[in-house]
Amino acid sequence: MDNIRLLIVDDVEDNRLVLRAICRKLEGFEIQEAQDGIEAVEKADSWSPHIILMDIMMPRLDGFEASKIIKERYPHIIIMAVTAVIDPKMEENMASIGVAAYIRKPIDKDLIRFKLQNFSTLLRSKEGKHKKLSAKEALNPFCSDIRHFKTIFDISDTDAMMDFGMWILGRCEERVAALCTKVDTVIELFYEIMRYEIRQGGSLAIIIEESFEEIYITMKYDETINLKPKTMVLLRELGNACIVRDTIVCIRLQMQQEQKSFEVKEALPLLTTAVPVIEIKVEPQSQRVSEPMVLKEIPLPKETRALHSDEKEMLHQSFIYKTTAVKYVSEIGGDVLDEIRDLVSVDEEWRDKLSILEEEPSAQNIWNFVDGVLSVYVGAINNLFEFTALAYALTSLGSCLKEHADAVIADATKRKNVVMFMEHLGSDLVSWRDHIFSLQDAGDIHYLDSSFFSSCMQIEGMISNKEIETDDDNEMEFF
Amino acid sequence: MAKRVIIVDDSRAVIATAELALEEMIDTGVIEFKSYLNPLDLLGALQAGAENFDLLISDVNMPQLNGLELAKAIKSDERYKTKPIIILTTESSNEMKMAGKEIGVTGWMVKPFSDEKLVKSLKMVLGV
Repeated sequence: MDNIRLLIVDDVEDNRLVLRAICRKLEGFEIQEAQDGIEAVEKADSWSPHIILMDIMMPRLDGFEASKIIKERYPHIIIMAVTAVIDPKMEENMASIGVAAYIRKPIDKDLIRFKLQNFSTLLRSKEGKHKKLSAKEALNPFCSDIRHFKTIFDISDTDAMMDFGMWILGRCEERVAALCTKVDTVIELFYEIMRYEIRQGGSLAIIIEESFEEIYITMKYDETINLKPKTMVLLRELGNACIVRDTIVCIRLQMQQEQKSFEVKEALPLLTTAVPVIEIKVEPQSQRVSEPMVLKEIPLPKETRALHSDEKEMLHQSFIYKTTAVKYVSEIGGDVLDEIRDLVSVDEEWRDKLSILEEEPSAQNIWNFVDGVLSVYVGAINNLFEFTALAYALTSLGSCLKEHADAVIADATKRKNVVMFMEHLGSDLVSWRDHIFSLQDAGDIHYLDSSFFSSCMQIEGMISNKEIETDDDNEMEFF
Repeated sequence: MAKRVIIVDDSRAVIATAELALEEMIDTGVIEFKSYLNPLDLLGALQAGAENFDLLISDVNMPQLNGLELAKAIKSDERYKTKPIIILTTESSNEMKMAGKEIGVTGWMVKPFSDEKLVKSLKMVLGV
């Protein structure tokens, strides 16, 4: 394919210059300009642009009307609206005529470049040798009777991952107010898998198939998908809404029964910049089961003191790039911060539940501590997406405590030690929050992860009376 | 006389697991055990001459000061130059170990640790 022809439409010369300057850095683009809607339509006729950056408020013919005419004549032209006007109604109108993205001024140059590059890849792949997927070929193992709605993402970096997350949230909102399947858990699960594989340099395809009643999200990878302990926990949570094969993880999003008559609007995936996948090998029909296959019970790692490979990895994981607390906090959303701040109330609960356990030792009170306090913490940490080891350690310790609750209660020393350790872990978490979120003085946000994880493993060892076995010879190495 | 063992770790849970492992040595008066959560506090106390030790056990990743930097600062002080420092960490990379070796730390132990082996190593270093 020759250069991608990009048309910049804006009545203000300065704006055109800025856009041109931004786009000039992209390779393989040829740029022309138009000063208003009428010129834009003329250029569309005479020059056949592939992509148009379209201002909305313009004299003679505005961006909306121009886009409408152009889309009618040339549905394949990708139009991105660029405007300073924040107008949800206009966004909706633009979407309804097939405008692919809506970008607000002041212009985020990286965003524009990113989107242009993705569209460019999309255009090049469309023109190339690759076949398009037939809508009849269902990839998901749940149901072969899917409709025409099929969206494909190629996930090879975190931005594409976020786009997928945004898309699926938007889609669920659009289709039904409430879904039976926990969408948050689904997204978390996919993020966990994607983050790992992306870090390993891999890229995944996500194929979304839709029927009128359900949405099927299939994640496909070239090799066997790595299931980390945390992903296993999430998979279990999703139960039979989920099917796992070597190279496929498929989730079914079900609508609530009473909403099945909801009318589905077919809409273009707006603002989706993840690049559609080029080629996908569909599993042969024979390998597909007609009945949904219930996910087999995946044993949670607990009790055993031989650390398995995932745990070892978490224990010795190294973060190549140190992220300072200041940078981290500035990048995460306010909602997450609020949730972390709310953990102050859990601190009290943490102490209270331990006091109760000390005064009235019973298995039930251990369970109350785990379910009422530990799990709340895990929930909040999980939303941070960065502290898998921390969340996993607490989850695993909670399971261990519950499993051995009776034995702990029966042994006074053990009971005393459990309470003592839990108090210390609680304090560690408070200071972790301080160093990262309040004082923000940690030079590396992962300063506690491994230590904390290792402590939890040792405490589990104490609770279950099992010595820790690691592959590493844990003798001291003398220099 | 009891040997003074200091542990510095930002995690209270780690300190507690070490203390539990060394319980017998502490109870029998073989060692006296002191802990610091903040390496800067320890460094300050040592520099002021308000603290002393026969063996220091240090973590590596701490928010205020890296354990290897701490060891380096302590080792540069004539008073503590020959005192043994043991690194107790989840870090097991050779680069880190080499850095520790260059600074002059005595030994490297990887977490999670076995109580028995920690006790054995301590006894060896302290000659008790």
